[in-house]
Amino acid sequence: MRHATPRPRPPRFGAWLVSLFGSSQQAESILGDLAEEFSDIASKSGVASARRWHWRQSLKTIAYLAGSSFRTAPWSLAGVVLLGFLLRRFDFQLPERIIVAILRAQRPYSNLHYGVYVWLVTYGIPIVGIIQMILIGCIVAAFAKGREIVATTTLSIVSPFAFLLHFLLVGGQWSNSIFIFPSRFLIIQVENLVGLVIGGVFVHELRSVVGRRFSSTSPWWANK
Amino acid sequence: MSNRDYLGEFEHIVLLAVLRLNEQAYGVTVRREIETRTRREVSIGAIYATLDRLEAKGYVQSRSGDPTPERGGRSKRFFRVTAQGVSAVNRTRRALRSLTEGLDLVRSRSS
Repeated sequence: MRHATPRPRPPRFGAWLVSLFGSSQQAESILGDLAEEFSDIASKSGVASARRWHWRQSLKTIAYLAGSSFRTAPWSLAGVVLLGFLLRRFDFQLPERIIVAILRAQRPYSNLHYGVYVWLVTYGIPIVGIIQMILIGCIVAAFAKGREIVATTTLSIVSPFAFLLHFLLVGGQWSNSIFIFPSRFLIIQVENLVGLVIGGVFVHELRSVVGRRFSSTSPWWANK
Repeated sequence: MSNRDYLGEFEHIVLLAVLRLNEQAYGVTVRREIETRTRREVSIGAIYATLDRLEAKGYVQSRSGDPTPERGGRSKRFFRVTAQGVSAVNRTRRALRSLTEGLDLVRSRSS
């Protein structure tokens, strides 16, 4: 019994990345075009060649979509990035305060198991820090409609430089720690970057799902 | 939109490709038309960034086609040039012609 050869599919991760950087209408047409050309190249030159082409095109497309966001709405993008920056400045040490408040409330040496205390001190602050960044990423993305990932990525890239510049020029209680513990500063920045982008991805995906559900022009299976 | 607006080089190329393709202008065909006629490799992203900008200026209009299986169930977005777009192409061509008129480009290149 013969089975029909399954149609080769374009790289899902690449397609998902492209969908993150554009509006749902842009993603629909761009991903459709990429899939159409992928099938064409796969039938002529093989799947491996088509995959390479798809990845190259996806990365170029992401660069163009990100650049286009900056060109078409520079001020609104700058506004939401500034909002995110202010939110981050609003309570820079919130994670530490939350963990200290938890530890004080639990009276660690009497009620809390020592292992839990050590775990909270070691991992609690980074975890609360990531949650804080995810929430800020969500707020920024909510205001940056259609440009969620560009806004949160820009914020996460600009913030470390802005903080570094601020500490160098103005100083502050963390200024010395940046030079004494540069690796910790870097870890916190990477953690912030991941948290902010996760927030952006979450809001973008939520909007896509809601958009697909309420859109009459694009069927629900269109992006499967 | 001011009627003194001229098209950028790539905007000009994309508009001409859409005009040539008539009713069949969508991302894939526009990209292939440009690559075939200009021997210049362009990405889908560049085409859409430009077409979106031209649509915002009122030079092209788009409509959605039907979804097809080879496109993973996604629909095509067809483009057509508006009267404003045709005027912009003519204006830019006139400006280029006026600027190149009387120039000895062969001699200028060799000197």
